Amino acid sequence: MSFETSEQSTWWGKFKLEIEQNKEWHVGPLKLIVRRLKNEWQIAHESADDFDSTDFSWEIKSTDQQPGSFNNNSRYILHDTAGQLIVTPKLADRPIVSRPHIPFNLAAGEEIILYVSTPLWVELEVGSTPLKSIAIQRLSDTWFGPSTLEGDFCYASTTHCRLNFEDLPRRSHRAITPVLIRNKSKTTLLLERLNLPIPLLPLYTSSIGQLWTPLITLTREKDGDMAELKIDDKPPTETDITEKISDARDKTNTNVLFRAFNTVFS
Amino acid sequence: MNEFWTDIVNFLNNENIWILIRAFVLIVMGIVFAKLISAALIKLAGNKMDNHRLMLLKRGSYYLIFILFLISSLRELGFNLSILLGAAGVFTVAIGFASQTSASNLISGLFLVAERPFTIGDIIRVGTTTGEVLSIDLLSVKLRTFDNLFVRIPNESLIKSEVTTLTRFPIRRVDVLVGVAYKEDLKKVRATLDEVANKNPLCLEEPKPLYVFLSFGESSLDIQYSVWAKRENFLDLKNSIHEEIKNAFDENGIEIPFPHRTIYTGIETKPFPVTSIDNKQPDK
Repeated sequence: MSFETSEQSTWWGKFKLEIEQNKEWHVGPLKLIVRRLKNEWQIAHESADDFDSTDFSWEIKSTDQQPGSFNNNSRYILHDTAGQLIVTPKLADRPIVSRPHIPFNLAAGEEIILYVSTPLWVELEVGSTPLKSIAIQRLSDTWFGPSTLEGDFCYASTTHCRLNFEDLPRRSHRAITPVLIRNKSKTTLLLERLNLPIPLLPLYTSSIGQLWTPLITLTREKDGDMAELKIDDKPPTETDITEKISDARDKTNTNVLFRAFNTVFS
Repeated sequence: MNEFWTDIVNFLNNENIWILIRAFVLIVMGIVFAKLISAALIKLAGNKMDNHRLMLLKRGSYYLIFILFLISSLRELGFNLSILLGAAGVFTVAIGFASQTSASNLISGLFLVAERPFTIGDIIRVGTTTGEVLSIDLLSVKLRTFDNLFVRIPNESLIKSEVTTLTRFPIRRVDVLVGVAYKEDLKKVRATLDEVANKNPLCLEEPKPLYVFLSFGESSLDIQYSVWAKRENFLDLKNSIHEEIKNAFDENGIEIPFPHRTIYTGIETKPFPVTSIDNKQPDK
């Protein structure tokens, strides 16, 4: 990650704050204010509820607004002299369930690439002390499983997965995940909901600052909701990736059977 | 004086006293060993078992070791164990009659342990008492209620009555019962409820909220709207969803009616005379 330059090209990185200086971030629906005091850091944030912008822009500026005027504000006592704040984008901490705009059928033996965009979290660190992790957009909870007794907690995506990469709006507060679905079973797969293991993915950035994750391959061998999961260990090829921004939150074995589809079979 | 010393020496030389001491030492050793071994077993199995099983392992190993030492100590005292056990059979019947309640609790406790309807740390509701299970013992189950009271429930009553475990499954449903005025458009009401559920992040997107038209009530159309939440968020959602539904109904002009009464004078009588009066003080 590069140090702050006069022309900051990304909203993440390392930022120097003087004592009693406030800095404000606007990334997607999130407004974040960080204030440094002597031996203390204050963080305040709020997210707009109805944010539906396809705008890529973001903003970082100095501000006079005090963190105390926000509902969500927290104080951290730290004997830190460097005054260096590290801002890192992170992917969601739970799997995310996304839907195509209109459910579609994937015939036996077919494969398709879908593009899913998921919102990011902002992680704030001073020195090597992690201060706070903030969701840029609060996603609704959802349950992904065959019954109310068995399943996983996930976030429900507010956007749809797309078949065409060009249809997906570029947004600075979301990461794009390409998903290759292979239907090797003998029945048609009706795709209504798609569960993606986002915590298993690392994060890359392209030259314009769009965040990406590697390609996920979901292979459905038999009838049912389960798919064999494979995560590429190289960045996606759709764009010019320049740098790896963060590692996966969960680094457990990624070659596993995963409940990926919640489907009605025809 | 000499006699006294002789008595003491005779007493100490007497075999019986040493037998008594040996038996006593065996019992003390039994307690110490049982404690040490059960503690060691708990440490070994600490990561692999839940609290409930750990407790069973601890008590089981403790009593097993202690009883073995107790038997050796009784042997040391010269008891013939087969006769003792026979006598114990007769005693059991006598004691059984005398302590019916305790015995019933004890047996119920064994069933509870085997059936495992809940474990330590679960939240259960028995009758009107709701609380966290602190321990499951042979005679009773101890609860900590949410107002921080310690409640002891005899195992017998747990076996006999209905017990609800609130923390068994990962998700729970919040049922909102709401009535709307007869003049309202139910499609609009349903759309408003769906929007409220959609906007609340604690409300699960799947399983989908359930909409049930209950009845044509006395003064309102009664509706049940059920939403799902993560178990830990149940109370938060219950509080927020009611508030949000009220706000959304107010915004959309949907009336939540009070009970209405229309006074009907009957077919034989004339309508009530209605007189409009001026808002002025009556003459005195």
